[in-house]
Amino acid sequence: MAEPILTVSGLVAGYGRISAIKHIDFQAYNGEIVGVAGPNGAGKTTLLETIAGTIDPKAGQITYLGKRIDRLSVMARRKMGILLVPQDSYLFPVMSVKKNLDISGLLNTKVENKKFLEYVHDLFPILKERKKQIASTLSGGQQKTLAVGMGIIANAKVMLIDEPSIGLAPKLVTKLFENLRQLKEDTGKALVLAEQNVKVFDIADRIFGLEAGEIQFSSKTADLGEEVVKELFLGK
Amino acid sequence: MRDRSKEIATLIALLIPISFVGIGGYLQEVMGYVLLFVIQGYVAWFLYFRSGQPFFGYSVTMAIGAYGTIVMTVQYQWPILVSMLVGAVLASLVSVGMFFATSRARGFYVTIASFLLAILFPKLMEAMYQITGGRSGLYFGGLEDWTGRNVLYIIIVLMAAIIVGAIFVLMRTKTGAILTLISENDDLTQTVGINTFKYKALSYVIAGFISGLGGGLYVNYTGFISSVDVDVFTTVYIFFIPLLGGRSVCYGPLIGALVVILAPELAAPVERYLLIILGVIFILVAVLLPAGVGPSLENLFRKIFRKSEKKVVAVMGRGEISL
Amino acid sequence: MIINGIITGLIMGGILSLPVLGVALVYGITGIPNFGIGVIGTLGGFIIWSLTPYNLPLAVFIGVGICFPIGYFLQTILLTPISVKGGDSTLFMIITISIGFVFEGLIRVSFPRAIISIDFPRLGSITIGGITAEGFKFIALFFGIGVLVAMRLLEQHTKAGLSLQATSQNLKLATLIGINTKRVFSVAHGIGCCLTCIGAIFWGALYNLTVTTGWYLAFTGFIIAVVGGIGNIWGGMISALVMGMVMSFSGYLLGGTWQSVILYAIVILVLIIAPRGILGSERSL
Repeated sequence: MAEPILTVSGLVAGYGRISAIKHIDFQAYNGEIVGVAGPNGAGKTTLLETIAGTIDPKAGQITYLGKRIDRLSVMARRKMGILLVPQDSYLFPVMSVKKNLDISGLLNTKVENKKFLEYVHDLFPILKERKKQIASTLSGGQQKTLAVGMGIIANAKVMLIDEPSIGLAPKLVTKLFENLRQLKEDTGKALVLAEQNVKVFDIADRIFGLEAGEIQFSSKTADLGEEVVKELFLGK
Repeated sequence: MRDRSKEIATLIALLIPISFVGIGGYLQEVMGYVLLFVIQGYVAWFLYFRSGQPFFGYSVTMAIGAYGTIVMTVQYQWPILVSMLVGAVLASLVSVGMFFATSRARGFYVTIASFLLAILFPKLMEAMYQITGGRSGLYFGGLEDWTGRNVLYIIIVLMAAIIVGAIFVLMRTKTGAILTLISENDDLTQTVGINTFKYKALSYVIAGFISGLGGGLYVNYTGFISSVDVDVFTTVYIFFIPLLGGRSVCYGPLIGALVVILAPELAAPVERYLLIILGVIFILVAVLLPAGVGPSLENLFRKIFRKSEKKVVAVMGRGEISL
Repeated sequence: MIINGIITGLIMGGILSLPVLGVALVYGITGIPNFGIGVIGTLGGFIIWSLTPYNLPLAVFIGVGICFPIGYFLQTILLTPISVKGGDSTLFMIITISIGFVFEGLIRVSFPRAIISIDFPRLGSITIGGITAEGFKFIALFFGIGVLVAMRLLEQHTKAGLSLQATSQNLKLATLIGINTKRVFSVAHGIGCCLTCIGAIFWGALYNLTVTTGWYLAFTGFIIAVVGGIGNIWGGMISALVMGMVMSFSGYLLGGTWQSVILYAIVILVLIIAPRGILGSERSL
């Protein structure tokens, strides 16, 4: 087993006096989907935002590619290859689909962008069909695919996606998750998904259960039993 | 910090200038202006900072009171006190009118609308020059004709103390408590069942009235008004009084008025650079002393005398910077 | 008579559209209403006036050019840090007005003669499409429109312009994507000051330039932008032209002093009835 590409140890972070997450130990590996599973308010968003850099940690370390990044700015971490697809407000609403994708590729070369755009169009043909459409007029599911598409073009090594399935109908969720699994297999990226939706277990290689700000368990999905899953999402 | 002792101390401080009557001359003159703007400053303190209403048209309410007084006395021969009262009532009508008009909008819109009113008003006065004297203005003898300069001055001192005292008392009543709640969280206060609209309207009425009354006093003291006196920068200065002096303490506007009025006077030797210095000071205070000069001085005194470990912190109100 | 009014209005509107764009750009991108921007532009205008006797093009270049770093560093050193700490619009209003005081003071200290008129080569009367007016006024109008069109094109078709749009539409996402939003802020502010300066130049060439003009340009620019919908460039442009005509006609019909009154009254009405501006806004106020 290779070294984790991203390691978080002893992380404590939150808003003001309240710590939304405490003593978080967490790893993500290349070519794996890591699920951060937990109910509302568990601290999933806080964890992802702290890794991305929009929240400063109060204690603990974040190591990426062997370097400590917890003091770096969002931009610096982004350039190193970490990207956060936030839970809401994940598009530029007034711009067209094409422009949204273009702007995600700001840090890439033209050649790279062409390659990635082709891949995104293959994975999500609808984005090619509707490339001139204004982003805010897309349906919920289409907007989500656009957000993921933008994330792909941004060419990060680690993609942190905050609740991608929220607000989507079950069929769309399954499709989206399938796309994410395919993305992982095609590109070998590390995907970290924060999710309330139980379906994340279907595609995650590794699961961290988060509740009330603390990791309750962590395991390879294959080793998990049904009881644990039930407890996590339906409460003890 | 509504410490009762601090409030009483503030009121006493407001009465000290009465002693200047004996000294007379320049000091008395300036103190008169300071106190007139103390009144306006407390209006802003009350309405904007204590009641959380983003109103920015204090020069307008002051001007309506002033213009109302002088125009009705000079052009229409009304008795002075009646004119002052009518002026104050008109001012409160305009301020509550602004509230109703902008009540559907939120936040910055209200500030901008009232700010625009403050820009518009002097131009309106200019345009109506036949009644208002436009840029050349109107003169009148006012109360001074009856009472003489010194008694007028004492009246102003007393009025300032009474008005400020009344505001303090108001803030201690149920209404005041509700306004404080509204300033902290309007929506939440509504969910508790309080008709915030009513109370907000009331705060505008009170603020407008006091400001108009203060304007009436002002025009009596100066004996003159023109459109140049009530331009938009007046409202900026008035707003600065509680902002500079200390928005969360009861003596804030007192200090603020002293600074805003006295600074230009004291800076006379460097008059050329006055505007630059004033601008820089305003910026520095707004940025570095978000709680205002007052609390910072208070903390300084505490450190020196080590009375207690209590530190005055800027109250987290609507979007204020916390220390 | 009416045609004349329309022409004057269009020209006035065309010139005003420059500070409108300046203010709208700054506000739209950074969220900060800079009421002192007009005074900064006026300072540029005064500098140009003082250098005109030597070399006109160079003077213009220096004057406008100096506005860019002023805006850039103002944003970088003062405004962005406060923004990060959490300043609200009213605080910025106070701070930018105070900045205006500082620059007004600078102008008064450096240029004792407080009213100036910039001498551009006069072209005499020109007749276009049956409408006669002074040549320079047409130039002002077309130049103003030209600058706006250029800006819009740059915004849509360059990487930098795209970054600008993204930052104004969704700041958080723009930062997450890797756009250097702090630099975008500063550049936007620099450009905004330059645009206002150009507007001040035209104003100074056609009418007079005083410190009060500076405040006037900023206030008027801001309210016109609000009417048209802040952040909406075409909205601002159209709004400026319409407002220019309103001012022009109210000037003719009611006399100069009522001109401003009508203008501000209309704006207040618009704010009350349609707070997002007549054409809608990409960024909420």
